[in-house]
Amino acid sequence: MKDLKHLIYFENLLDEANNELCQQAKAEGMHPIGYTCYHMPEVVLNVDNCFSVRLRAPKTGTFDIASYYMSNYTCEYCRALVERAIEGGYNFLDAIAGVDACAEMNRCMENIEILAVPDMPEKKMFVTHCDIPYKVTDYTLKHYVVQIRNRFLNVLAETYGVDTSDKALRKAVKEHNEVCDIITEIGEMRKMDNPPITGYEFHVLCLVTYCCPKAKILPYLKETLKEIKKRKPDPQPWYRARVAIVGSEIDDLDMTRMVEQAGAFIVSDRFCFGSTPGRARIELNDEEDVLTQICAHYLKTTQCPRYMSQEKIQERRDFSDYLAKEYKAEGIIYEAMKFCDFWAFERTLVSHIMNEEYGWPVLSIDRPYMARTSGQLRTRLQAFVESLEIKQIQKAAKEG
Amino acid sequence: MLKTNIEWLKKNMGPDLKIWTQMIKEIDWGEVKRKTKLSMQRDKERVVGEFKSFMAMSPAEKMDIVMNGDIHLGWLYKKDAIAFSRREWKGLKSVGIDFTGWLKTWAGMINMVMKDPFSIALAVFEYHWFASYLGTPVAIDRSNLGRRGQLLKSDIQMWGAITHWAEWQIQTQIRADARLGGDEKLSKRVVLFDEMTMAQMMAGFPNLISMPYQMIPVFMSSELDQLALIPFIDAVEQYGLPGDACPLPVAECGCAIMDEYPILGMGFIASSMPCDGSTMASSFQDRRFGKYLPYYPLCFPVRYDDEDTIECAAADMKECIKWVEGLSGEKWDWDNYFKTMDIMNECTRIELEKWEMNSTPYPQMVGSSYELFRKWNYEMDGGLFPEGIAVQRKLRDTMYKTYEKRLPAYRGGYAKHRALIWGQPAHFYANFSNWLANSWGIYILAEMEALNYTKMLNTTDKEEAIRDLCRLYERMVMRRHTNGGHDHVLGELWRQLKAFNADIAILYQHVSCKTMAGLMGLFDDQARENNVHLIWVEHDLMDPRTISRKDMRARVSNYMVNVMHAEPVDPTLIEFDDEASW
Repeated sequence: MKDLKHLIYFENLLDEANNELCQQAKAEGMHPIGYTCYHMPEVVLNVDNCFSVRLRAPKTGTFDIASYYMSNYTCEYCRALVERAIEGGYNFLDAIAGVDACAEMNRCMENIEILAVPDMPEKKMFVTHCDIPYKVTDYTLKHYVVQIRNRFLNVLAETYGVDTSDKALRKAVKEHNEVCDIITEIGEMRKMDNPPITGYEFHVLCLVTYCCPKAKILPYLKETLKEIKKRKPDPQPWYRARVAIVGSEIDDLDMTRMVEQAGAFIVSDRFCFGSTPGRARIELNDEEDVLTQICAHYLKTTQCPRYMSQEKIQERRDFSDYLAKEYKAEGIIYEAMKFCDFWAFERTLVSHIMNEEYGWPVLSIDRPYMARTSGQLRTRLQAFVESLEIKQIQKAAKEG
Repeated sequence: MLKTNIEWLKKNMGPDLKIWTQMIKEIDWGEVKRKTKLSMQRDKERVVGEFKSFMAMSPAEKMDIVMNGDIHLGWLYKKDAIAFSRREWKGLKSVGIDFTGWLKTWAGMINMVMKDPFSIALAVFEYHWFASYLGTPVAIDRSNLGRRGQLLKSDIQMWGAITHWAEWQIQTQIRADARLGGDEKLSKRVVLFDEMTMAQMMAGFPNLISMPYQMIPVFMSSELDQLALIPFIDAVEQYGLPGDACPLPVAECGCAIMDEYPILGMGFIASSMPCDGSTMASSFQDRRFGKYLPYYPLCFPVRYDDEDTIECAAADMKECIKWVEGLSGEKWDWDNYFKTMDIMNECTRIELEKWEMNSTPYPQMVGSSYELFRKWNYEMDGGLFPEGIAVQRKLRDTMYKTYEKRLPAYRGGYAKHRALIWGQPAHFYANFSNWLANSWGIYILAEMEALNYTKMLNTTDKEEAIRDLCRLYERMVMRRHTNGGHDHVLGELWRQLKAFNADIAILYQHVSCKTMAGLMGLFDDQARENNVHLIWVEHDLMDPRTISRKDMRARVSNYMVNVMHAEPVDPTLIEFDDEASW
């Protein structure tokens, strides 16, 4: 296939947190707000003259200073962020919207707050810690709304005079949905037998929507959508097997590159920084309070393993199964960031369940933040693809 | 019950006998002979050594040993043995107290067995954790090392309350267990809850029996027997869980995987407390219990300092109460709840008095027995178990008497160093505080997990009472410090060191605890700023294979020798082997 026109530009945007589009927006007087978790509703960070930047630490080498502060057995994503913050990589931010959804991320935010924030140029810089529920009920939704309103939106309004009215929120949702529609439309193409996009390219597109101001990235996305619609795939599909990925955050392009280099086409991306559920439209009605509707969307769609009620536990398994079937996957890769407690338990148990009860071939992996460092991971991916190919051959022999 | 017993025998007798026969066949009798000889040789060396040491003493020193007991506690440990080489000689003044306590412990255990001897005998074969409870008398002895007189008596009383509660829990579980005892009527009165939740809510249901489900198979057995949980931990790791997860939820999951929970109860209250690992253990347990138990996830906000979170907590508590009412047909009894919380409040007042006393130059309620009792009293008793408050009152009377006499809390003399323990203590080394006092004279004046919620719970206004109950739960053992922001554990340490006039912090570094690990560097930085001696002691909570008891001791000894240039109170306690012991 011919290369996408903006692919290299997008990749360059992902080379650092304070990318070209963030710099432009900041220069125009907008407020960049860093965040890390799905439970901080992205759309409320894009209200009025603010824009969200989902924090990454691209090109991370070692994180020695962060390991001193957080030990060498905490989540590598968290440590990479602390290291980057201490290095000054997030000095462009005006706020960090943190949530107390997992202990390690909370500690990451606290370390940033104590070690890096005092040296940041924006003296009004603040870090929030919103409390996030463990289950979905009417009172936990109410609680969630109060948290987002009191701990974030009100502080934002008081500190920077941002308009956080319903009207402003509706505008942010509209723009958010525009981005989601484009990503969803492109994502749907992965269902094709010979799709005009690879899993790696899709990951790049998805990531830029998380890491750049929405208004700035939209024109590029629209153009890319048009391009993909007309894009002519190679005569034969390039991949050897189709896989769905389920698990913790992946913002590392080398990870998806490694999967696809092993011959596996990533048809579905059910991970933090992925498109399901992160790029699902937010539907608003005119009757209910806007913030409540936004929070309800995030609470209902979240697939984080911290939700411990039985219906949510079951929903996560069913949703993974649904995605794998819908996108015609042949196997599922369950992955967890090293030292992530939530996904370590979830991955262990559910990788057995998806195989034994749902009948999926499953690869269960524990991975580092930067995948390029792991030769073992590459070998395991290659072996999984080969096992899926063997299944294809056996299936063909049986049928024919 | 007999019917269930017979069913169990029919099912298990044949296969079990085969296993036992095979095990006996596989014994290498030559090796047994060699080890017995070696053990006898060690005994001989110890006896000769002790005799020589005694004979070398002056008459006054000899009299001191006779009257006040051993001063060389390291001699009690024997390499490769599960128990002490002999009992600690507490001296003529205390031997009566010690021996009576020992007898009472056995009496309690026998009493438990006699409630349903047949079912309990079968439990020894059905549940591998059960045998760990045979180590109870040794665990009590370990926790009382170096304690004398009335303070020794207090330790025995505290253990008495804990063991009587545990015995009640065990015999109820076994009698109601569908596998063994099979008393369905009893089983239908039991509400199970996660061991990482508190018991106080059940004070509103006096006709029901509340049981922390994992407490007996997992939590408590690991306090008694350092090797008890290794099969559970290995089972989960073989299933695919990384080795960096906390052994507590891991062992809970392992117990479910190995099907080692008794089958009983009308429902299970799961909990998001105290941490992420514990939250996730619920999905493993749900997979096991979900087959026969309805399940309610009781979840509290993490940022508990923010008062705007309390309404959500209160709503969930009310829902949980409603759930129990629906399940059992019982109505929440406010009178009983208020009466029980009055007792809880009295316990809190007594606790505050202990802390005040421990901040003086003559601390009295210190040591491993007290640490365990405090946690049990706060979390599992909560005013529900009558012996709890009775012991609290006795402790208060004793501590004022011993304080007036300015008695040192340990045989080795007054505190050479005043310290707090911070972080989660190692279950497999529950008597570490006693070792600190007996070896280096480091008195542990309080530990992090003891310093919990001290506000008096409301016992008049129903709405506020529910909110207070939630506030209490949110500040359960460990959660009080490790959740809701760094100041609860980081800033709090410096404040508490000041309050207790302590200059050393023994900082447990539970290597699998991510919440504490996330603040390691800040602890170091701020300890330097606050001019505090911070001694890191690594451990892996319930898995002594990662870091052994010996390694833990070495961390302290290295610091005391190289930084403090201190001399040990008891040199025999600096280097000894207890890796195989209970």
